[in-house]
Amino acid sequence: MTGTGVTNVLDVRKLSKVYGAGDTAVHALCDVDLTVRRGEYVAVIGHSGSGKSTLLNMLGCLDAPTSGRYLLEGLDVADLDERQQAVLRNRQIGFVFQAFNLIPRTTALANVELPLVYAGVGRRRRRERAMAALALVGLQGREDHRPNELSGGQQQRVAVARALVTSPALLLADEPTGNLDSQSTADALGLFDRLHASGRTIVLITHDDEVAERAERVVVVSDGRLSEAPARR
Amino acid sequence: MSVVEIVRFAVRGLVANRLRSLLTMLGIIIGIAAVILLTALGNGASQYIQGQIAGLGANSITVLPRQPPETAGTSGRPLTTGDVQALADPQGAPDVASVSPVVQLSTSVDAGRSRTDAIVVGSTPSYFPGANVQVGTGRAYTDVDVEAGRKVVLLGRTVADDLFGVGSDPVGRDVLVRGVPFDVIGTLAPAGQGQGLANPDENVLAPITAVQGSLTGFGDLSQIVVQARSTEAQAAAESEINSILDRRHGIEDSENRDYQVLSARQLADVLDDTLGAFTLLLAAIAAISLVVGGIGITNIMLVSVTERTREIGIRKALGAPPSAILGQFLVESIILSVVGGVLGVAVGYAGTLVPLGDFRPVVLPSAVVAAVGVSAAIGIFFGAYPARRAARLRPIEALRRE
Repeated sequence: MTGTGVTNVLDVRKLSKVYGAGDTAVHALCDVDLTVRRGEYVAVIGHSGSGKSTLLNMLGCLDAPTSGRYLLEGLDVADLDERQQAVLRNRQIGFVFQAFNLIPRTTALANVELPLVYAGVGRRRRRERAMAALALVGLQGREDHRPNELSGGQQQRVAVARALVTSPALLLADEPTGNLDSQSTADALGLFDRLHASGRTIVLITHDDEVAERAERVVVVSDGRLSEAPARR
Repeated sequence: MSVVEIVRFAVRGLVANRLRSLLTMLGIIIGIAAVILLTALGNGASQYIQGQIAGLGANSITVLPRQPPETAGTSGRPLTTGDVQALADPQGAPDVASVSPVVQLSTSVDAGRSRTDAIVVGSTPSYFPGANVQVGTGRAYTDVDVEAGRKVVLLGRTVADDLFGVGSDPVGRDVLVRGVPFDVIGTLAPAGQGQGLANPDENVLAPITAVQGSLTGFGDLSQIVVQARSTEAQAAAESEINSILDRRHGIEDSENRDYQVLSARQLADVLDDTLGAFTLLLAAIAAISLVVGGIGITNIMLVSVTERTREIGIRKALGAPPSAILGQFLVESIILSVVGGVLGVAVGYAGTLVPLGDFRPVVLPSAVVAAVGVSAAIGIFFGAYPARRAARLRPIEALRRE
């Protein structure tokens, strides 16, 4: 499932999501087409309720689309059962959430190790890779701290380390700076820039134009429809 | 992912909520301790009663005359010395060690101005081992005494106390049995209360010839006491007695017998059955508390799953397969119930160290094994539903929950 021969990490065709049925049906997404190439840094912007979070949930295999096709690394996600989707999330996707979503009462190191545990990586290699990921986000020396002992910006960096530790094909970030102060936001965005520079594929969702400006490509979601933003500069 | 990791996650989950885990365990601890303690009580009572019955003389068999049912069409024959001789025949009854004819009457016994009521038992010297009666002071009567028809008696402890004062030794004194003078040649060892069919403390033992010659006349026997060769031979001896007496009394249907055979073994069997049923009843009551404890586990695990829905969502987003989530919560409930079960066994065992009246509870090893097995099964059974609910949560719904 390495799919290195595929240039498009993401390939979404006519993806729709409908909540409810009949008169009360809500079309959260309508016929969305989106491709993301390897190494691209894409920002998805839109107002609250525009459907951008729904799109991210589809891309992260957290929710199933009503219709349309979604290829991740050339693999049709609809063909996979629950267990295979779990493996896909584990190997190919790294999530960074707005609310950090660290496991409480568990050290930073254990949090970063968690995806590797589910991947079946042995204890020693797990520890090495988790320490390396924490070092990458600048948190060496904090591995034994619990989430409640870390600042918001540090927690988000732990979350980024956790997302990176499996070397996923795609980094999905949902409002990663939404709960951070301006200094931490700058730090986090700097981290994303560095990851992009090192060749990571990043899809970032935000409602903040300043955050979106750091991406090399911006798409706009509005009323469940997607459009490319005009090229900047 | 390995089982070790699943167990580690489960232990972490339990330790995070120490007090709650402990209280949930308490339900199982109480249930298992109750099962261990109550079955131990039943078992201890059973062993105590078995010991008491063994004191009756495990080899002793008593044959009593019985009124046959009306459908038999006959009033039945009495037990006679002819029956005794037939039972004493080693050809027909190889498992019989000794046979003692017994005549018995209830009458008053006088010594000076004292008078008491007693049961006078006339028999032969083989009656002493046959009925498991021990001589306290003096001597037993002998075959010579029987042949000569000597009027000699041994007094049961209660009779001796009533006539001559508590703890006295009346050997050499005289008593009047229904006005007939007898020499006291000994007393019987005290047997204690409630030793079974008859209480030898209230008996007066004399040679059968003397009792027949001066008190009852030479008629039918009151009973025949048979001693089997060994405890193991008892059942065989009983069936030999049955076949010999059936033949002599012309009985074709065992329903119509004009005699009955009683033994300590039969008594033990009946008591054992009764106690077994009683122990089972106690265990069933205790088992109810186990079920209540199990429901407590389901309840707490459901609360735990609801409370940790978000954590489950995070784990799923990071790639936890349904089986890992199922395993984590199932192992949590199994740990709760098995640790509770082991602690329950310890508490129950500690409880049995408290002596209760005459007997001590005795823990059944099988109950310990069953208790631990059952508690593991409870963990799986009562933890399965919450664990499945956790495993089936959709990641997106789990993540949305605050």
